[in-house]
This record gives sequence, C-alpha cells and structure tokens, in this order.
Amino acid sequence: MAVFKHGYQRYDGPLTGPVTRFLAVPRYAWPKLLAERFVLVLLLVSLFWPLLCAIFIYLSNHASLLPNLNGGGEAIQKLLRIDGNFFATFMNIQSTFAILLAAIAGPGLIAPDLANNALPLYFSRPVSLGQYIGARLLVLFGLLSLVTLLPGLFVFGLQASLAGSAWLAANWPLGQGMVTGFLLYILLVSLVALTCSAYVKWRVVAGALVLGFFFVLAGAAQIVNQVFHVEWGSLLSPGYTVYTLWCALLGVETAADAPGAGECLAAVLVLLGALLAVLLRRLRPVEVVA
Amino acid sequence: MNQIAIIARLEIRRAFFSRRALWVYLLALFPAALFLGRGVSVNYDRREYAAKPATPAVVLDRLPVGTTDAAALAAAGPPLRDHTWKRAQTTHRSLHYFDGSNRVWLQFENGALKNTRRLPLNSFDQDLRVYAGVFQYFYLRLAVFFGCLGIFINLFRGEMIDKSLHYWFLAPVRREILVLGKYCAGLIAAAAIFGGGALLSFGALLSYQTAADVEPYLRMDALAHGFWYVLAAVLGCAGYGSVFLAAGLVLRNPIIPAIVMLLWESINGFLPELLQKLSVLHYLQSLCPVPAPIDPSAPPLARMILSPAAPSSVWAALLGLVALTALVLWAATRTARRLEINYGTE
Repeated sequence: MAVFKHGYQRYDGPLTGPVTRFLAVPRYAWPKLLAERFVLVLLLVSLFWPLLCAIFIYLSNHASLLPNLNGGGEAIQKLLRIDGNFFATFMNIQSTFAILLAAIAGPGLIAPDLANNALPLYFSRPVSLGQYIGARLLVLFGLLSLVTLLPGLFVFGLQASLAGSAWLAANWPLGQGMVTGFLLYILLVSLVALTCSAYVKWRVVAGALVLGFFFVLAGAAQIVNQVFHVEWGSLLSPGYTVYTLWCALLGVETAADAPGAGECLAAVLVLLGALLAVLLRRLRPVEVVA
Repeated sequence: MNQIAIIARLEIRRAFFSRRALWVYLLALFPAALFLGRGVSVNYDRREYAAKPATPAVVLDRLPVGTTDAAALAAAGPPLRDHTWKRAQTTHRSLHYFDGSNRVWLQFENGALKNTRRLPLNSFDQDLRVYAGVFQYFYLRLAVFFGCLGIFINLFRGEMIDKSLHYWFLAPVRREILVLGKYCAGLIAAAAIFGGGALLSFGALLSYQTAADVEPYLRMDALAHGFWYVLAAVLGCAGYGSVFLAAGLVLRNPIIPAIVMLLWESINGFLPELLQKLSVLHYLQSLCPVPAPIDPSAPPLARMILSPAAPSSVWAALLGLVALTALVLWAATRTARRLEINYGTE
C-alpha cells in the first residue's frame, strides 16, 4: 500500500487517567524550579520570619521565664499577645516573598510555550484549556504554599500546642482566616504571574511585569490618595485590598475611612476576573497559518 | 565618537517606538496625568463651593470631641453631605461642611464626635510637599526604576532573546564602543521620557494654582526646583540604566539583580546612615529641592526606625552618581569583551 494512503488515524491506545495527566506538568516543573539557586535562596530566606515568629510565640507562652515580666505592664502583655494582629503581620511579610517567588518562577510557565508555538502540542493531547491553566496554577500553588500556607500552619500549630486547647477553641477562626486569606492570595499572585507570562513572551520582561504589577500599583494607589486627598485610591493596590480582606477574616480593625472589606472583595474579584479574561484571550489553542 | 553616535542612532528608534515602550510612557506620564486631573478637580471644587452656603469656622471649632451628632447638627445646621456607614459593630457618620475656605468633615463613631478633619480647597504649600512625595516615593523609586529596567535590559538581553546580537558583534566595531553606543541610546530615550515626564508633572502642578500663590514662586524658586527635579530624574536614568545594562550583559535572568536592588532601595530608609549612602536613591533624593514628607499615618514604630540619612551635598551626590555609573559601565565593557553568544540557553 502506498504511504500516502495511510492518512490520519486517531490514536486509540490506552489513555492515562485525568488526574495523572493533570499532574504531569507540576511533576516536571517542581523539580526544575527547586533546582534554581535563587528560588532555593528565596525559600530559605523566607523561613527566617516564621522562625522569628516561632521564637516570639515560645516567649509569649513562657513569659514567666523572662525577667521583670511577671505581672508586667498591660502594654507588654498586649505586645506579647498572639491575636489577629500577629497573624496579619505574619501574613503581610510572607506575602512579599510570595510575590518575589512568583516573579522568578511564574514567567517560565507559559511564556516559553507561547514563544515556541508549543500550545498546539499540548492541546493536540487530551488536555483542555482549563486543565492546562489549572496545572500551571498548581505549580505555583505548590511553590507559594511553601512560603505562605505551610509556615502559617506551622506557626498556628505551634501556638495551639503551646497555649493549649482552650486557646485553640477560642481562636479557631484565626486559623481558618489565615488559610482562607492565604488561599485567596496564592490564587491572586499565581493568576498575575500566569497572565504576565502569557501577555509577554519574554521571561525577563514577564518577571519585571509581575514585580511592577504589585509594586507600581501599590505606589500608584498611594499617590492617587495623596494627590486627590481621598482613600478609595487604595483599591488600586492589590496588596492593600488583600490585606484588608485578611484583617476582616482575622477580626483586625482597619482605618475607618479607608475602603472596607466589601469594597476590597469587590476590587479583588474584578481583578481576578480581568486577569482570567486576559489569560483566556492569550491562550487560545489555535494556530493561524499565514 | 562617530561610531557611538551611529550605534546610538540605530538603537534609539527601538527604545522610543517599540510596543514595549508604551509601558514606559505610561509610567512616566502617570503623575502628570494625576496632577492634571487634580487641576480639573480643584477648578470644579472652586466653582462648586463658591455657590454653597458656608458655616462659620468658629461654630465648627467650638464642637468638642464627644459631642453627639444631634447636637452638632443643631449647632452647625444642615451639612452639605451626610454619610452614615457601619463597620464591625461601629456606626460611623461623617458630616461635611464648608467654612468659606476649608472643607470640614465632622466624624462620629456611635453618635459621638471622634475627630474633625479640615482640608483647604487647595493649598499650594501642601501641593508642593505632595509633589515632593510623589516624585521621590513613586517617580524615582518605582517609575524610573521599572522604566529603566524595561529600556536598558532590552539593549543586550533583548537582542540575545531575539537572536540578533551576533549581527552587532560581526560589525567592525569594538565591544566597548558597542556597549557605550547602546547605553547612550537607552540614556537619551530614558532621559527624554522621564525628564520630560517630570517637567510635565511639575508644570501640571503649577497650572491650577492661583496667581497669588504661583507668581511669587515663579519669580523665586520654580525654575531651580524644576531644574533639580529633571536633573534627578535624568541622573536616576543614568544610574539605574548602567546597572540594568550590566545585569543584562552578565546574567541570563536580570530580574534577580532587579529584585535585589528593588529590595535594597525599598528598605533604604530603615538602614543605618552609612548603608543608606550605598544606594542610588539616597543621592537622587539629595538632589531634590523639597524633602519628601513622612506619612503621618505610618505606625509609630516604622516612623521611629525610618530615619533618612542627612542628604549629601549636591556635588557629592552628583559625583557619587557619575562615579557609580562610570564604574558599572567600565565593568560592563570588560564583560562585553569576553562575551560569547550562546543562544541555545535563552
């Protein structure tokens, strides 16, 4: 039979399971990312603050060990209290590392596929657009969890174990709030990183865009507030809006005249929607042949 | 020199007119757009409040903290705006008055007066301080920084990603000349965009002030202030540009030095005085004519730690920036001489 008469035949061999297929990307991406020296350095540096917090928790639960603190002033007792403010500060600092990690790891996830026209290779396999984006998000979720969720759970668990079940029963919402807040933040940072990666094909520029997105918008929000003597400018800053949501989840009071949790939630949802729309627009699995 | 000029001329078009330059223009023009918007808002407010009834300032000043909202309404009369909202079991109410020259907000919590906020329709002195803050905290620290990152990294790293650097290396021109030519192109573009942006925003700030405020300022300080702001922006482009050009030459991922530098410049105010002087920003801020205000709403601990080093003298600042730029460029030219292209790793 002539070769040209073979034509196209659909593959009808055994398929891997949907979960295995979904996990294929993270399985290869994680070791590659962890092999990068700067990612490792960042991961190590990001553990410094949780370590300090762990020491602080130990001290606050053993205040009697400290000299001159027994029955100390109310200010010191307040300072040593592990409450929503403590977790809000903890989350705020760890979130900076999440942005830096996303700027390093995120751009390499989609930009090379677009730059090398590799999308058709993915989508010619039984992988949907949602699975493709989900797998990429999972890569970042795993990486960012190492600097946000895991240290957070460690710190919360340490406090719960030292302070006893009464503290845990009374402060259970703090743990819930922290996990929910970090999950929301990871989703936001990951989507920003993926969208930047899809928007510009150069990894370097995409990394700069991720950094710029958070830092420049935070600065822009501040100057809008300063120039117009308003407070709503803060809604432009993704960092501020997420922090306000964290405060609401942890029961921490924020400035009365600044935008509240409702407005911030709306701003975050609009931002997430816009990022997803840009991502879907850029990741159309079609190839235009001129 | 001729070769440098030719290379710069060839490169400059890319720096000015590429699609990526759009972001740089947005960053540079954002403060100018804000101050233009502020001008529109101030002019609108002037017309709007001229027609509104004024409540004597003495009546509003007489209300002590803790006054009930009902008592305040009885004393001051109906407000221009009345806004009530609830947050975390607390009911907030804001009554807005105008005393003839200031807008006044009486802020209540659970029906008791908590504070009185007074804001003039426009204050030139305050606007000058706001501009200093915008210029030093946003323009130099973020806009010039990220703009230079975009422009200067593109010069070499961009060519490597486009796999076109070897064309330059095949030309009969020394590598040092190539580096200097590309740097000049980047610097001219960045200086024009960010220097122009600084001048435009300064002009926008002056455009909506009253003649009584702005005329003495124009006679006395305006030219000098405008000159120093533009010079600071241009020198910022020169300093950051040289660092990012070198980073683009040396490293495959120049984002890493950019992150390190961004963090270093961000924590600058918290560092000891000696370390503060090891940053581009310190010298740029030393050139600025008006010191940047420290945010009064910042936590007391942050304000305590945030102690800006005494500004360097103008000559020390100029010399420091030029020396840093020259040193980094010298290192970049040395690196370029040994550079081997390996597009496969990009």
